[in-house]
Amino acid sequence: MKKLLLTLIISSPLLLFAQGSQVNTQSQKALGMAGAGSALFIDETSIFYNPGALVKMDHNSIQIGANAIMYRSTFQEVGSDQTHNTKFQISPPFSLFATFGPKNSWWKAGIGVYTPFGGGVDWGSDWPGKFSLNSLSLRAIYIQPTLSFKLTDNFSFGGGFVYNIGQVDLSRSIPVYYADGSTGQAELSGTGSGMGYNLGVHYNLEDEFSISLSYRSKVVTKLEDGDAQFTVPAGLSTSFPNTTFNAELPLPSSLNLGIAFPVSKKLDVAMDATIINYSIYKELNFDYAENTAVLQDTHSEKNYQNAFSGKVGLQHQTTDKLALRVGAGYVYSPVQSGYVYPETPDNNRIMASAGFTYEFSPKWEMSGAYVFQHIQPRTTTNIETRLSGRYETYIHAPGLSLTYKW
Amino acid sequence: MVIQRITIMKKITTHIKLFFGLAALAFATSCAPQLDELTPSAGSNADFTKYVAIGNSLTAGFADNGLYLAGQQVAYPNLIAEQMQKFGGAVGFNSPFFSAEQSDGTGYMRLTALVNGSPVIEMVPAQAVRSESPLLFTKYLDPITNLGVPGMRLDMMGIQGYGSAAGNPYFERLLPDASTLTTTYLSYASSQNHTFFSFWLGNNDVLGYATNGAVTTNSTNRLTTTTEFTALYTAFIGSLVTNGRKGVVATIPDVTSIPYFNTVTRVALLAAVNAVAPAPVADLYIATKTTPRAATDKDKFILTFSSIAGNLLGSTANSPYPYGLHPLNPIEDQYVLDESEQATVATRVVEFNDVIKKVASDNDLAVADAYAFLNRVKSGIVVNGVNVSSSYITGNAFSLDGVHLTPLGNALTANLFIDAINAKYKSTIPKVDVSLYRGVIMPN
Repeated sequence: MKKLLLTLIISSPLLLFAQGSQVNTQSQKALGMAGAGSALFIDETSIFYNPGALVKMDHNSIQIGANAIMYRSTFQEVGSDQTHNTKFQISPPFSLFATFGPKNSWWKAGIGVYTPFGGGVDWGSDWPGKFSLNSLSLRAIYIQPTLSFKLTDNFSFGGGFVYNIGQVDLSRSIPVYYADGSTGQAELSGTGSGMGYNLGVHYNLEDEFSISLSYRSKVVTKLEDGDAQFTVPAGLSTSFPNTTFNAELPLPSSLNLGIAFPVSKKLDVAMDATIINYSIYKELNFDYAENTAVLQDTHSEKNYQNAFSGKVGLQHQTTDKLALRVGAGYVYSPVQSGYVYPETPDNNRIMASAGFTYEFSPKWEMSGAYVFQHIQPRTTTNIETRLSGRYETYIHAPGLSLTYKW
Repeated sequence: MVIQRITIMKKITTHIKLFFGLAALAFATSCAPQLDELTPSAGSNADFTKYVAIGNSLTAGFADNGLYLAGQQVAYPNLIAEQMQKFGGAVGFNSPFFSAEQSDGTGYMRLTALVNGSPVIEMVPAQAVRSESPLLFTKYLDPITNLGVPGMRLDMMGIQGYGSAAGNPYFERLLPDASTLTTTYLSYASSQNHTFFSFWLGNNDVLGYATNGAVTTNSTNRLTTTTEFTALYTAFIGSLVTNGRKGVVATIPDVTSIPYFNTVTRVALLAAVNAVAPAPVADLYIATKTTPRAATDKDKFILTFSSIAGNLLGSTANSPYPYGLHPLNPIEDQYVLDESEQATVATRVVEFNDVIKKVASDNDLAVADAYAFLNRVKSGIVVNGVNVSSSYITGNAFSLDGVHLTPLGNALTANLFIDAINAKYKSTIPKVDVSLYRGVIMPN
């Protein structure tokens, strides 16, 4: 009776996953043209870009590639003179593609192992958005066996089955305070898997003109029994039990149309347009195995819109052995104002790129590319956290791949 | 064939080295974006060179029912001054800090445990007491600019001896012994050669009365009249704006927007009574300005009643009737701000705020509307992912005494003032990063 019943209501940690428009780094050739070239390039990376084109390869090959993605975001709270940067870190997405099957046949098989996104962002634990996010690391490996068939010499189709294993690590400050003013922290980590598919058709009119249509299904990664660890003052430990959680992370479907044609004997142009079906991403639900008055399951509105990207690139066959490329692109963000979260402070973005392929011999070739993306500055107030400020992001993504053909 | 392959491999490695060299260059130049949306600036409409803060316990950084160093350091004027210093304002801003050796100051409340969600609070002992009776604290006689004096009331502004050993010990500690009997707070505050001032007084002219359940027993808990308030407020501001000096004034919060009046409810008390009562108890009885009556959910019990209610309620020690459970032995008036008393206080606060806004307008001063802000906080707001409300402890804005601010509450208040100043004087004082400041410390 002397005491007063006190119910602590503290917002539960959310897994605020918002994968903005992806940086596809599966082909350094396409990357050198800002992502265009699904119709132009017929090689082992067609497994990813258009399984329908794969069968048009007149050889078999294996390719290994990697990128170094540097994601540099800056934040400034409205009315503040302080800027906050994400810590410098390099995310290394990699890819491996191999093809099998008879040459110049009506079928070809291939397998791709790649990371369609990856990476991370680390804002640290002393920035104004720390109760949204300290750091997030996402790693996913997609494995895609693929078959491709020729109907006529000009028309082919194909498809692949996608199996994905993903891992997420997230940490976030919790507004419960120690004597020195520092805060509690939630650390969530989990692995999960998902499935999807990839389809494509490819048509070319001799060497004059080619067109590519491909569809990648959504892949929902189901995280089950992930670990939720809470570091809080001892007096609150029963309110924040270390427990497990389930959540689903969707990667949306996309529909891509690509065309390519020669402008001159040495110069090709390629254009790609993509609709990414982000509107499926309405909400994110988060289910803790053990709930307390403080630690509740969460339901977070995302309300993504469909995104659109357009990319155009030029390829110049400078010598017999060297091809040079440049490209540019524009991506409309799926993230509406108010739903911008610090893990991917998305906005419309501009891309510019350059790249090359060098053929050492008929069997060996190397490709390199560098793409720069500028996510436009965006001033926004998050509907959930009321964090109000301006974000701007540069993404630097150099990459290199090596191919052996036989 | 083998030789040819080796040559190719060499070529490849050379190219890889070249490429990684280029990539390294790219890393070096992969600068982060630069955002510089705001350049700290005083603008040209006010002179922030010497900023003084005039006010009561809120201005002094009083928190957790005590004045102690950690609270003083995050008082909202200190946070504002820190921001002004980014463009060369608030030169030499100083507070009457307790020393590191006496950092616990007058002592303060500390949360030691949560037992089934109920707070257990202890008092950290005072370190800066130089006399127990009368209670006096360690003096601080260096020049200061945070002039906040806990307990300061507007109706005491002109009283000589208010800063004497018989008066307010928080004021006494700021004055040389020779002048304690002659200095008034008005003369003290208005003779600091300021160029800019913040002024937040008047709270205690209603709060002292309200926190004592609308019972007046002495000069600290009387309700100042609006006529007095108007004259005093006008005079005080008049003495600060001479020579065209500028400032910001703040309105007085509605007293019911603080946890002190919103934590102990009729329902909670009845539940506690019924947990041990032999027969069900349906009503609590309270004394009012007229006749005793059954309490309703609109009557507000003061926070400190929670610690004595356990021994009092149902007690027949001083009466044949159980305390608080019978109209003939009601809960005493001082523990309850009943519905009609709330109305009296609320009306007075609105009248005072009208005066404050009028005087500010007459003198072309900025107004930080703490009344409007705390009314919004009362129903709960979210600040950078933190829930802020007038809930006791969990609301993050109010310290353990249920009246004064946490560091986070001070940061929000500083931003309220900064917004008002910037809007009025076209300055760009940067906002405080609220996320750097804590709410209530949890037991660890």
